Amino acid sequence: MAKKWLLFKQLAIKSWIMFRRYFFNGLGGIITLYVIFLVIFLGYKGIAGLGPTDQYLSIEGILVGYILWYLALAAYQDVAYTIQNEAKQGTLEQLYMSVHGFGWVVGFQQIINAFYSLLIAGILAFFLMLTTGKWLNIDLLSLLPLLTLELICFAGVGFALGGLMLIFKRIDSYMQIVQFVLIFFVAAPPSNWLLRLMPGTLGASLIQKVMNGGEALWQLAWQDLLLTVGVALAYLLLGVAIYRICERKAMKSGTLGHY
Amino acid sequence: MVKKHTFGSSRKLTNRGDIWLADTILKVENLSKTYKVRKSAPIKAVDCISLEAYRGEILGVLGPNGAGKTTTVKMICGLIKPDSGSILINGKDNFKQRSAAMEHISAVLEGNRNIYWRLTVRENLEFFAGLKGKDPRAIKKEIDYYIDFFGLGTKKNETASKLSRGMQQKLAIAVAMVTGSELVLLDEPTLGLDVKASYDIRDLLKQIAAENGRTVLLTSHDMNVVQDTCQRVIIINSGRIIAQDKVSNLMRLFDVKAFKFVAEGRLSENLKQALTQIPHLALVEEEVDTIITLNLEEPRNFYRVVELLGSEDVSLLSINRQELNFEQVFMEILGRSENGGEKMAAL
Repeated sequence: MAKKWLLFKQLAIKSWIMFRRYFFNGLGGIITLYVIFLVIFLGYKGIAGLGPTDQYLSIEGILVGYILWYLALAAYQDVAYTIQNEAKQGTLEQLYMSVHGFGWVVGFQQIINAFYSLLIAGILAFFLMLTTGKWLNIDLLSLLPLLTLELICFAGVGFALGGLMLIFKRIDSYMQIVQFVLIFFVAAPPSNWLLRLMPGTLGASLIQKVMNGGEALWQLAWQDLLLTVGVALAYLLLGVAIYRICERKAMKSGTLGHY
Repeated sequence: MVKKHTFGSSRKLTNRGDIWLADTILKVENLSKTYKVRKSAPIKAVDCISLEAYRGEILGVLGPNGAGKTTTVKMICGLIKPDSGSILINGKDNFKQRSAAMEHISAVLEGNRNIYWRLTVRENLEFFAGLKGKDPRAIKKEIDYYIDFFGLGTKKNETASKLSRGMQQKLAIAVAMVTGSELVLLDEPTLGLDVKASYDIRDLLKQIAAENGRTVLLTSHDMNVVQDTCQRVIIINSGRIIAQDKVSNLMRLFDVKAFKFVAEGRLSENLKQALTQIPHLALVEEEVDTIITLNLEEPRNFYRVVELLGSEDVSLLSINRQELNFEQVFMEILGRSENGGEKMAAL
C-alpha cells in the first residue's frame, strides 16, 4: 500500500509541476472556453431574448450544460489523450514497465486529472456566473458525488477510445467527432430509457436539477441515483474491458508503444 | 572524480575467465514470436531463441535490420507477448509474476524518448524512481550520485528538451540505473550520437557493469561499441541465434593468418605466374607499375613468397599481418549463416 501511495504522490507531483510550468497554456485553454461560452451566451440572448423557462433551454441550463460538457470532454480526453501522448513521447512503454502495473498508473492519473478538471470547472463556472449574472446552486455535498459519477462515466468512454488508439494510430479526427456527440449526451433530456442509458445523460439531468433547480441530493429520485451509479460503473467497466482487449492485441502485434 | 558506489547490487561476484559472474539474472528459453500481417504471409520475427545473461556482464545482441533484436528486447521487457517460451528475470516470470519481475529490469528503448522532455533532469530521475517503487527522498544520494556519474550536474535543473541528444541519452540511461534494476536493457544506446557522446556512453556502460555490478544487455549496429564494451555477444539472424560466445572467442575463431606484402615496382610475368600457383594467394596490382599487393591466406607459404620475391630482387616496402575487426567477424558469421552455414559454438 505504501508503494501505491508513493506512485500516487509521484504522479501528483508530476501533474503539479506540469500545471505550474505550463500555467499560461492552461490559462489560455480556460480563456478560450470562456470566450466560446460568451459567443454562445450573446448569441442566445440575441436570438431568444430572455429565454424560455425550460431547465435545458434557459441561460442557467446552458450554463450547467456547458460546464458539464467541459467536464465530459476533460474526462474522456484525459484518458484517451494521456495514452496517446505517452505513446507519442515514448514513455508509455516505460509506464508499462512500472512495478505497479499500468492500470494503477492510469487509474491514479485519472483521479489527479479529475481534481484539476473540477478545479478548472469551478473557476470557469464562477466567471460564467459572473458574466451571465445567474448564480447557480452550488451545493458541493450534492454536486461532488454526481460530478464524480459523470467523470467516471466519461473516463470509461476515454478508456475505450484510448484502447482503440493503441491499435488504430490515426483516429484523431474521429476523436474530434466524439466531443460533439458528448454535447448531445449531456444536453439531451433523459426522456426515454435509451437516453437514460447513454453515457452521462441521466447524471447531467440530475446535476441540472441540483444546480439549476435548487434540489439537494437526497431530494432526487433514488431510482435515478441508482441508475446513474449503475450507468457510470457500467461504462467504466466496459471502457476498461475494451482497453484491455486492445492492449492485449497491441502487445500481441508488437505495436504498444508505436506512434 | 565520482566516488565509486554499488547501488542496487549486494551479491558477491565470482571471476569466471574474463567475465565477472555470480549467477543468471536473465534466462530466456525457446522464445518465439510470429507477426500476422494482413494479406501477406506471417513474419517469424523470433524463432525459438534461448539465452542467458549473467550478473555484472555486458551482453551484446547483434543482428542485421529485421533480425528480431528489438522484438526480443521488448519481449524481455514484457511489452510484446511471445507466442511461446519463457522469460525469467531474477527467477520471476515476466508475464506471470510481472510486478516482481519488473523490479529487476529497466530499459532504454530505441530513439531519444523514454524520458519526459518537459521535466528537468532531477524530476525525471525522481519520477521514474517512484514508478519502480523507490521513494525519491530515500534514494536522494543515489540520484545525486547518478547525476554526477553521468555528468549531468550542471544541467540537473534544465528540462530534458533543452539537453543535447547525447545528454538526453545519458539521462535515459541514468533513469534506468536509478531505479535500482539489476538488468538494464539498452536498445541502440549510441544511435545518432556524435563520436564524443558515443565514447562517453561506452565508458559509462563499462563502469556501470564493473563498478555497480549491473547486467547490461545492449543491441547495437555499431560494432566498435560492441567490441569495446561487450564481454559476450549473441548474433541473431532471421529470428534465430546463429552465434553466441565471448567477443574474444569469436575474434579468435576468425583470426585468419593473412599477410599483406607491399612490393615496389612491377613483377615479371614469370614471377607473377609462379606466385599465383601458391594456393590462397591473391595478387593485386594497385598503382601503375609501382606497388604490388599480395594477400596470403596460408601461413606455411609465407617463406615461399619471400623466396620467390627474393629471387628477382623485388624491393619489399612492408609485410603486415592482417587482423579482422569485430565488424568483419560479424559479417563473416552472418555470411556463413546466410549461406546455410553452421551455427557457431555456443558457450
